[in-house]
Amino acid sequence: MALPLHERALTADAGALVRLTTDASESIFDLVSAATVLDWAPARTPSLIPTQPLQEDEQYRFHFNMTKCIGCRSCEIACNEQNGNPAEIHWRRFGEVEGGTWPNTQRSYLSMGCNHCLDAECVKGCPVEAYTKDPATGIVLHSAEACIGCQYCVWNCPYSVPQFNPERGVVGKCDMCHGRLTDGLEPACVNACPESAIEIEIVNMTEWRKDYAAAESPGMPAAVHTISTTRITLPEHGAANLERVDYGHIQPEHAHLSLVFMTTLMQAVSGALVYQLIGRSATAVALVTELLIASVALSVSAMHLGRPAYAWRALKMWRRSWISREVLLYSLFFGALCAFTVLSSTGFIPASHLRSLIDDSPAIHFLLNPATLQIIGWAAALFGVGGTVCSAYIYLVPARPSWNMIHTPLDFLLTTAFLGWLFAAFLHVLSNSVAGIVGMRFLFLSTNEASSSVSAGLLFAALWVLNHIVRRVRLSFSRIFERRASASLLRTEFLQMIVFSSFALAGLAAFFAFARMSVAAVLAGFAAILMTRYLFFVSVVPLNMALTFVRGGRH
Amino acid sequence: MNLRERVWTRVRRKLGIDTLREQYTYAQDPRFGKVSASRVADRWVRTTCGYCSVGCGMEVGVKDGKAVAVRGNEQHPVNRGKLCPKGLSEHHILTAPGRATQPLLRKQGKLTPVSWEEALDVMVERFRSIQEKYGRQSLGVIGTGQLVTEEFYTLGKLVQLGFGTSNFDGNTTLCMASAVSGYKLSFGSDGPPGSYEDMETADVILLIGANIADNHPILCQRLERNKHRTLIVVDPRVTKTAMMADIHLPIKPRSDIALINGIAHVLIRDGLVDHVYIAAHTSGYEEFASYVSSFTPEYVAQVTGLTEAAIVNTARLYGNAKAAFIGWTMGINHSTQGAVTVAAINNLALITGNIGRVGGAPFSITGQCNAMGTRESGFTSSLPGYRKFEVAADREELARIWKIDAERIPTARGLAYPDIIEGSVAGKIKALWIIATNPAVSFPNYQVLQQALNNVEFLVVQDGFHPTPTGDFADLVLPAAIWGEKEGTYTNSERRIGKVNAVVAPPGRARTDFDIFLDIAQRLGVRDELYPGWTTSHDAFLEWQQVSKGRLCDYSPFTWQQIEDEGGAQWGGERLYQDGVFPNADGRARLHCVPCEPFTEQPDENYPIVLNTGRTVEHWHTRTKTGNVGLLNTMVPHAWLEMNPVDAERLQLKAHDKVTVISRRSSVPNVELRITGIVAPGQVFMPFHFYEHNSNQVTLGAFDPISREPNFKQCAVRVERTNFSAIDHLSRKTQANGRDAAAS
Repeated sequence: MALPLHERALTADAGALVRLTTDASESIFDLVSAATVLDWAPARTPSLIPTQPLQEDEQYRFHFNMTKCIGCRSCEIACNEQNGNPAEIHWRRFGEVEGGTWPNTQRSYLSMGCNHCLDAECVKGCPVEAYTKDPATGIVLHSAEACIGCQYCVWNCPYSVPQFNPERGVVGKCDMCHGRLTDGLEPACVNACPESAIEIEIVNMTEWRKDYAAAESPGMPAAVHTISTTRITLPEHGAANLERVDYGHIQPEHAHLSLVFMTTLMQAVSGALVYQLIGRSATAVALVTELLIASVALSVSAMHLGRPAYAWRALKMWRRSWISREVLLYSLFFGALCAFTVLSSTGFIPASHLRSLIDDSPAIHFLLNPATLQIIGWAAALFGVGGTVCSAYIYLVPARPSWNMIHTPLDFLLTTAFLGWLFAAFLHVLSNSVAGIVGMRFLFLSTNEASSSVSAGLLFAALWVLNHIVRRVRLSFSRIFERRASASLLRTEFLQMIVFSSFALAGLAAFFAFARMSVAAVLAGFAAILMTRYLFFVSVVPLNMALTFVRGGRH
Repeated sequence: MNLRERVWTRVRRKLGIDTLREQYTYAQDPRFGKVSASRVADRWVRTTCGYCSVGCGMEVGVKDGKAVAVRGNEQHPVNRGKLCPKGLSEHHILTAPGRATQPLLRKQGKLTPVSWEEALDVMVERFRSIQEKYGRQSLGVIGTGQLVTEEFYTLGKLVQLGFGTSNFDGNTTLCMASAVSGYKLSFGSDGPPGSYEDMETADVILLIGANIADNHPILCQRLERNKHRTLIVVDPRVTKTAMMADIHLPIKPRSDIALINGIAHVLIRDGLVDHVYIAAHTSGYEEFASYVSSFTPEYVAQVTGLTEAAIVNTARLYGNAKAAFIGWTMGINHSTQGAVTVAAINNLALITGNIGRVGGAPFSITGQCNAMGTRESGFTSSLPGYRKFEVAADREELARIWKIDAERIPTARGLAYPDIIEGSVAGKIKALWIIATNPAVSFPNYQVLQQALNNVEFLVVQDGFHPTPTGDFADLVLPAAIWGEKEGTYTNSERRIGKVNAVVAPPGRARTDFDIFLDIAQRLGVRDELYPGWTTSHDAFLEWQQVSKGRLCDYSPFTWQQIEDEGGAQWGGERLYQDGVFPNADGRARLHCVPCEPFTEQPDENYPIVLNTGRTVEHWHTRTKTGNVGLLNTMVPHAWLEMNPVDAERLQLKAHDKVTVISRRSSVPNVELRITGIVAPGQVFMPFHFYEHNSNQVTLGAFDPISREPNFKQCAVRVERTNFSAIDHLSRKTQANGRDAAAS
């Protein structure tokens, strides 16, 4: 794996190229000779970047020496300058941990870029393969060209390393200054540190996988999730009593309104379709409405992306990314629903025309066969519910503990059942009214009402409420800090109000549905679900490294 | 970009076309390797950092006439390529929003853009008429430590000889005046005797009231390089610097003199003093020894809150060291006893002979980039070249060089900064000219300052930024160039003269302070006399070389070019007083008997907590600069108050609560509470950088009788949870006051 760096390191007088930092022990500064060797770099020091080539099964990693860091934050600025990032985005971040009682207080600092994990979740989750673990160096690289700005990596990383740049519409992250390293130069943070607290080392991956205890530190999420490769040297006096200083710094997360709407609408539509298929009440009016809503929902979801024009790329990684799978199944759902709607609407076509078509083409004959139609309808429903399951799996990420619970898929499925029921009932009424106005009874495939589904619907409503209550209780009493933090966010004034409103509206929706007031029921139902989904997004507290007590921006 | 293009770009961006790809590409810089293309420069300009007094060498990259990057100068002996976060982002201040770009004159209560012609005519006319009416001394001038030395030198002559007022001082009095006075008390002259290199060679380093990890981070690499040192940090807080220490001495506020005298006591008791040095180079030892005999470890332990063992151990470490270094900053200087505390520190160095030799120095680590320059050339608290107002020969020598009548040179210094402010309140000072400083944030006891600024008949604020909290009071705002836009020299803490170069042109119609001074001199009719043939700041340098020749701060051996090429030059060499001869009449250094007195405003029932103020690494002074650098301001966008968990529990306060800090003078509402073991029970700390949470609303207007430096570090306060309805009332009141001020 001979990078240019290594090739040069192996040549005789290459010290100057691989070493930038001057040695402490040789304090006499020889201007003349330094200037003649190289413009910028006298070379006398133990290098802060590897000078040996990588062997099989080895990769680069950061070493952060907590005992040397004085908390000056030069690394953080140097990183932003190196990468031309805006003020709010810090690929290298700084944090504080503290413990003990005055005057025996212990203070230490963390300075972290990307941990270039062995099992990087960002790589696994990315729907467009924007992430690669560089086979030569083990550096987790991100391609801004490939990225579509879905931000799934932001949710997946237990260190909150990838950061979305709204100005550009893509995510970005620390790449260990890959371009500099391969040129034999120190990464910007390494070069900026006045105390040589950051270096690049070589790690044997197999050995590290067996024992990565040196990756653990107060203020860092457990390395087990992704096997962070960053080695941290802890203070000699022990770090047992060090705690992060930003525990109280819990902010609501981004609401992702486009996803609030997309998930709610898609679940309502796919749920309603199931009820209609069971009740044989899928009218043309209902199907067209569903189709319209699904197309709105899917278009809105593209607006969640930083780069909507490239939404189609999200299909790429269906083999491993739940996002790709969700996109795939919802696309199939949409296609099947289209077909089902078109074929179901043949009732429009005058019988004479229809007959000639059927006679002409056995294929169409086959398609218009009621049994085929049923199969297509059920296929659509299956894709819809499957898409919803994939959708739920997206949120089952260890990096976001309050999402990573059984309650998330339960909520998505129960929402499908509950809201689908309300929506189907509404569509039934809608179809009837449209039919009444237009006077076209023939638009109905069936006049069956979903009356039998009332008891099922009420049951789902009750289960939906129960699921939320159990989740909330579990959050409040969890051992995991981030879950308790989510619960305490939900106790803040504004969010608390939304919690109560959503439960009240859900109850009202069930009552209206029971009382056959379908319009009121569906409105209340949608409002309730949209509110809970909003809460779902804003109240999640991600795993993150310890940051500072006072800080601005969103990092 | 026209509207259509802008709309089109927006649409494309919304769709997800990468319209900013170019902005985020990387390119190869021929010298610094791969870097964001936006930071690749056409040319690099060598200069010296314009923030603190460490004096780091740097290069500023310029592309298309715009400063785009900063790099530490690898060849510079001060920093060897490293920079702190402020330095690393310093180019941003040149393009920052909030720069002053045009002269503004208050007309009908409103600051209105005017021409330079009008601005300076009005200024000179108003100053003249006020001086005619109330006497020459009715004009007060408050300068700074931010200009280049050449500008200080020019300004000094303009104020003292041109305007003929000696009521001239700088914000350096808020900063290191106590160090100046203390050095003068002991050695007969100002001038830090050591070098940074001493921090690498000393085996014991004692830092007292100096949080260098936050305030001078680049000095920390000296300690890192010194593998055999014992670092002792004396600070009531567990600062970042205390965390670097081998021994942290968490003393009670303002008990430092007791500790220093106690160390002297043990040194003498245990025979760890250098009697040969004492006999040859000091005076007053007998008296001193008998004075400190009462500072027994037992007594000192009681005053400082330290253990006797810690005191004795510190003294022995210091006394047994082959070379011992003492560094201090504002923990010492910001005190009503600052000057004498510095003298007490000097005592330790003198009785152990830790001065004038490698590794041994009593070393004042200065604040501003060129506080030293104004000390040398400033004409405020002394005559240029460390000359004394009181000494006739000094005055005559200057008069000869300047070819003026010696009678024109004042025989005593005028009012110091706090006395100019008090003079303004009292109606003695009728016109004020404030240059490159922001007292509305930095001066203690804001209420008095506000009265002073409202009271004067004509207030001129000359600054690189506008609006500023001080500029809001101004009758005339003069937009000035800042670091990176002008040429000259700065002197750092170790007496190293560094070259400062213009990287870009000043924004809008802003002009260099030097140009402004010459223009004013022209209108005053003194240009030809005071500045014959001068056109650039280099002319000022040439005359300053003559003026400083033969003095302790002798600039005559160095040209600008040499200074730039050699990474600066230390006047006086690596260390002063190597021969043990001091600039007192008898050539000896004085040992002073320094009493330890309690600080002025002791806590009581109503104000039970001691407030300490200080800095954080991300910000510089009053944030006119760093508040405008998005990157730094995002890191720390607002102030906080540190409180010990014991006090928080007693007051039933939680972390992140918004609290109000109340003193006898005023209050600071809405400060975020940090509950932490950094501070001791009974003490709180807040940073002073923030006008929005101005610690100087509550600080005490008590000043050192010798140096006139304010006692920023201790005042009595109480802390309450903020009552937000009260704030609304307060802000309405403030707005109303603002309107009154504008109307008057």
